[in-house]
Amino acid sequence: MAKLIGGLGTSHVPSISAALDKGLRDTPDWKPFFDGYIPGQDWVRENKPDVAVVIFNDHGNTFFLDKVPTFAVGCAEEYRPVDEGWGPRAIAPFKGAVDFSWHFIDTLVENRFDPMICQEIEVDHGLQVPMELFWGKPDAWPVKVVPIFVNVIQYPIPLPSRCYEMGRVLRRAIESYDSDERFVVVGTGGLSHQLQGARAGFVNPQADQAFLNDIAADPDRLAAMSREQYVEMFGSEGAELMMWLVMRGAMDPDVVVRHRHYFVPASMTGAGMIVLENRADAARAAAA
Amino acid sequence: MSTRPTIVLLPGLLCDASIWEAQRATLAPHAEIRIADFSQLDSIDAMARSALGLADGPLIAIGHSMGARVAMEMVRLAPGRIEKLALIDTGVDSRRDGEAEKRQILIDLAFAEGMEALAERWLPPMLHEGRVGDQALLAPLKAMVMRATPEQHHRQIKALLNRPNVRPHLEAIACPTLVMVGRQDRWSPLAQHEEMASLIPNAELVVIEDSGHMSLLEQPEQVSRALLRFLGFEKDHSGADRAALGEVKPMGDDAVPDRIPDTPLFDRKRSLQGYRINKMAMGLGNPANREAFRENESAYLDRFGLTPEEKEAVMTRNWREMVRLGGNLFFILKISAVDPVRITEIGAHQAGMEHADFLRDRLGKK
Repeated sequence: MAKLIGGLGTSHVPSISAALDKGLRDTPDWKPFFDGYIPGQDWVRENKPDVAVVIFNDHGNTFFLDKVPTFAVGCAEEYRPVDEGWGPRAIAPFKGAVDFSWHFIDTLVENRFDPMICQEIEVDHGLQVPMELFWGKPDAWPVKVVPIFVNVIQYPIPLPSRCYEMGRVLRRAIESYDSDERFVVVGTGGLSHQLQGARAGFVNPQADQAFLNDIAADPDRLAAMSREQYVEMFGSEGAELMMWLVMRGAMDPDVVVRHRHYFVPASMTGAGMIVLENRADAARAAAA
Repeated sequence: MSTRPTIVLLPGLLCDASIWEAQRATLAPHAEIRIADFSQLDSIDAMARSALGLADGPLIAIGHSMGARVAMEMVRLAPGRIEKLALIDTGVDSRRDGEAEKRQILIDLAFAEGMEALAERWLPPMLHEGRVGDQALLAPLKAMVMRATPEQHHRQIKALLNRPNVRPHLEAIACPTLVMVGRQDRWSPLAQHEEMASLIPNAELVVIEDSGHMSLLEQPEQVSRALLRFLGFEKDHSGADRAALGEVKPMGDDAVPDRIPDTPLFDRKRSLQGYRINKMAMGLGNPANREAFRENESAYLDRFGLTPEEKEAVMTRNWREMVRLGGNLFFILKISAVDPVRITEIGAHQAGMEHADFLRDRLGKK
């Protein structure tokens, strides 16, 4: 059966890829941010996942308000970058894990999650940026992807606890998938930021640090928070953080933090990264 | 001496004055009540003219279902006479594909098997699913249908099938308008009313909880309270009273502040309000549209039907105003792909701060 080897969490701020495209990586504004991801990139290189399940939200690029799926799952052969207004970015298209996507959709529905099913769909920076942060910018991606789109823009957005539960179903799908492929789950978005209203520019580094602690040590607390609490604590767009709970729900209750990084502000956002492994796996690896 | 206003109540298909009994009783202390009788008429136009003839001078028109279509026609025929309008469980579009065939089945049924058979077929889908077996509700409705004749049914169906498409006229309705619908109305659903309320300039939407299409009888209390409030026949409720009226949810009330200060959540109201602006901005994901925006911005904006207020906000790059009008930053940000501006400048503008102060005080930049 397939194996879940780790849970990754990261921000997906569009300015990150813009900074890379413009060659700003080593400028004073950005260097400390990008350097913090080097251990995460090393972890990915050493552990060689075959499939990345990426949980993110579209930002009014692929979906308009005429049709807003609460949860949508891609099962396409290929995901191309969408034109967000500046033209499609020059990055390689992502290759889909089609067979697993369908298996995951089956498992979701059998477990009372009813997603929108997407056989042709483009992806915005919500998926692109995390992939580039962990895998760099290769000519061809060494990993297949399964995009999970979560509506965190048009209210009513889903409950944080629902994201957490979806993660548990994702774990079941991975472990019942007949393959020897190695999976990572990537929760994306956040951390604190607000783009709209007079509170625009709100960041909350203290709450962000507490989130990075609790996503490992006390995810139940984060899953029990209301949507409004997310908005209050992390800003209106910071509510994206609930998508990390899908990743966390897929992991064991007991995890070890392999790497962790926090930087503020990346553009207008508190930006963070985490790499988690299940403690049982980590202990086994240490004994071997 | 103040004169009492005149209210005309307009019933729907196969309905007579009895359907309005609860509302008539509630409104009678405040106004002269006339109830229209459409049993002999076979066009929306004739119904509207007959209703306008029920009284002289200004009117308040309150219509249910087909009666609400008549009310909209009255506004079109005599815009100066209609002071206020209430549209309940209704629609604005003309005949749908296949509708005539379905309606014909019921016409034939009424002629062949009588009005009782028609009532049994026609009424259940009109009601909240949980109440189709509720005899206290069903008995008076059935009795009402049986007072009508197959010929009346035939005439009114003819009127309905030939109804005008009033969608293009909605933006011309200038009077205060209440759009009301049962949340479980399967015949004319909530979404349709949300759209109507967004297209009529001075409209508010009220949702009647636990009600199907026959809200006048299914939830008479809720309907009456909403009408009293809308018509100003009740003193303004204190906050506590408003809470007690919990099930009546007026929308489009800008006076209600966001619970989290200065943090606009993109909820139903904002989404409806901002639909045009956001759709226009979404279009900028297409290179040809970006070119059109660059060439002639005003013409590009007109393609999406922006109001003068919305247009002004976009053309002056007034981000705060665009957001106030329902623009969502993820969409309107695409304007900055055509006319570059940094996201932090957009943030500073909304915060009402100088850019340097914004970077330092909000984002902690040195």
